[in-house]
Amino acid sequence: MKSPVSRRNHRRFSDLACGIVGAVAASLTLVVLGCIVWDLLRLGLPHLSWLFLTGEVADGGRSGGIGPVLVSTVMIVVIALAVAIPPGVGCALWLSEFVRPGTVPARAITGGVDLLASVPSIVFGLFGMAFFAQVLGLGFSILSGGLTLACMILPLLVRTTLTALQSLPVDLRPSAAALGLTQTTTIRKILLPAALPGILVGVTIGVARSLSETAALIFTSGYATRWPDSPGDSGRALSVHIYDLAMNIPNGAAAASASALVLLLMILVINSFASFLAERWLRRYHS
Amino acid sequence: MTSVSSCSSNTSCTCGGLSLSDVSVHYGNFAAIREVSLTIPDCQITALVGPSGCGKSSLLHAMNRLTDLIPGCRVEGSVRDGVGRELTDPSLDVMSLRRRIGMVFQKPNPFPHSIRRNFEIPLREHGVSRSDLPDLMEKSLRDVGLWEEVSSRLDESAMKLSGGQQQRLCIARALALDPEVILFDEPCSALDPLASAVVEEHIAALRGRVTVVIVTHNLAQARRLADHVGVFWMRAGAGTIVEEGPAEVVFASPSDADARYYLSGVRG
Ligand SMILES: Nc1ncnc2c1ncn2[C@@H]1O[C@H](COP(=O)(O)OP(=O)(O)OP(=O)(O)O)[C@@H](O)[C@H]1O
Ligand SMILES: [Mg+2]
Repeated sequence: MKSPVSRRNHRRFSDLACGIVGAVAASLTLVVLGCIVWDLLRLGLPHLSWLFLTGEVADGGRSGGIGPVLVSTVMIVVIALAVAIPPGVGCALWLSEFVRPGTVPARAITGGVDLLASVPSIVFGLFGMAFFAQVLGLGFSILSGGLTLACMILPLLVRTTLTALQSLPVDLRPSAAALGLTQTTTIRKILLPAALPGILVGVTIGVARSLSETAALIFTSGYATRWPDSPGDSGRALSVHIYDLAMNIPNGAAAASASALVLLLMILVINSFASFLAERWLRRYHS
Repeated sequence: MTSVSSCSSNTSCTCGGLSLSDVSVHYGNFAAIREVSLTIPDCQITALVGPSGCGKSSLLHAMNRLTDLIPGCRVEGSVRDGVGRELTDPSLDVMSLRRRIGMVFQKPNPFPHSIRRNFEIPLREHGVSRSDLPDLMEKSLRDVGLWEEVSSRLDESAMKLSGGQQQRLCIARALALDPEVILFDEPCSALDPLASAVVEEHIAALRGRVTVVIVTHNLAQARRLADHVGVFWMRAGAGTIVEEGPAEVVFASPSDADARYYLSGVRG
């Protein structure tokens, strides 16, 4: 039998141990982040310059810059957004305003959206190659890549827009109806503008995910490092470029790190923009 | 649009009352109210009182067809406006009906946009020209005593106003459409006593201009405001109006036993 005192000491000790383990675990994540950034900075920073950002890819990426890669990346992301936003927002509107939750069509669509969200991106890549590149004959092209990414971010856009619409005060709808507003006016002039910041948060997360995507793009938008003339050209996305430099190009580590730094910076900017929007939105409606 | 100025006195009022006969409201198989008959006099204030769950809100929603929005909700009987038009007619233009019969809810519900936009959206929807907007908005805001408080911040979010100000904004927004009837569903019960008194004062000021129907749980408020009173009670599992008449008569000597109990029970 332990005495009460020793049991208390034991408890105090276990609390202390828990605290220490927690603190170590917490600092470990910081260490990981620090290592990544340090490594990228160490290898990549010397390589980074204006010329690197704007120059053509030379020598498999070991020298020159990433200009065409950045242009292709932006084109892919813009296509993905332009294609995914209208059906994404439309689907969310339909779910929140036109079908009763819990009915068969509502459940089928939300189930489908959630299932789509859990599909690994490599599967989207294979699908994009088979469908957009081959069946539709778009080949390895920026368009194929953009369309594949659009499929990938669609469920994300549906979910965020749906959440934004559902978190609006429920009595907005009857109060609008009581003023003799049609449902179309209510959606166009009241619900969508009010949900816009939430939708923008979804869009920014979609951009960040598109930027960091490699698996879905390798088989669709391809590897070409020329300046793209049109969406029909093949174009290499930044993450694919990094992958290629790291895996296939001997001595590509410095260029890979510099490119990764650029990617990290872009995602950082976009994520802070998203959280800025989200915070403003929360302050506006839930204060 | 009908002119409001012709309604400036009780005697020459032309805003139009409502007459309900045998109105029943069902939610699926559940009868919320059964066979309610009620006369809502022209340009007066009619108060509907009664215990919770008796179907007061359901009756209001039947009057401006908000019941159409609820899946499975069925309204039977007849609701006629001042000129005898049947408002339950499925072929009626519901949007213009709701312009004529406005509604203010328990919880203040301005649109999460600027104060100006709260007027612009409904007024534009009903064909008011852009150039008429500022005057109409100012006039309506003055009617609820809000103009002085908000005239310098019309482009700020309506959500920044206090609860009482938001509720007066909602009343002004309904008034701006120049309705014949405004239905108030417990308009003061989400407000503190001071804000509630201000809102009540502006509802009282509508007498003679608009036909007002107000649901309230506050019997003292009903006494202060009402010209005409309807008392709700449960009968055979559904709500109905058991007593109806001029306020003096209903409050002084209700003929129905339950109405007498309800009106006196809260009094004592
Ligand atoms: N949308 C709905 N679907 C199903 N039943 C409903 C619905 N709205 C109201 N009811 C039911 O109808 C009955 C009357 O409700 P109603 O809200 O009209 O009463 P009320 O007199 O306004 O009550 P309160 O004083 O609490 O506001 C209640 O039993 C309620 O549960
Ligand atoms: Mg009610």
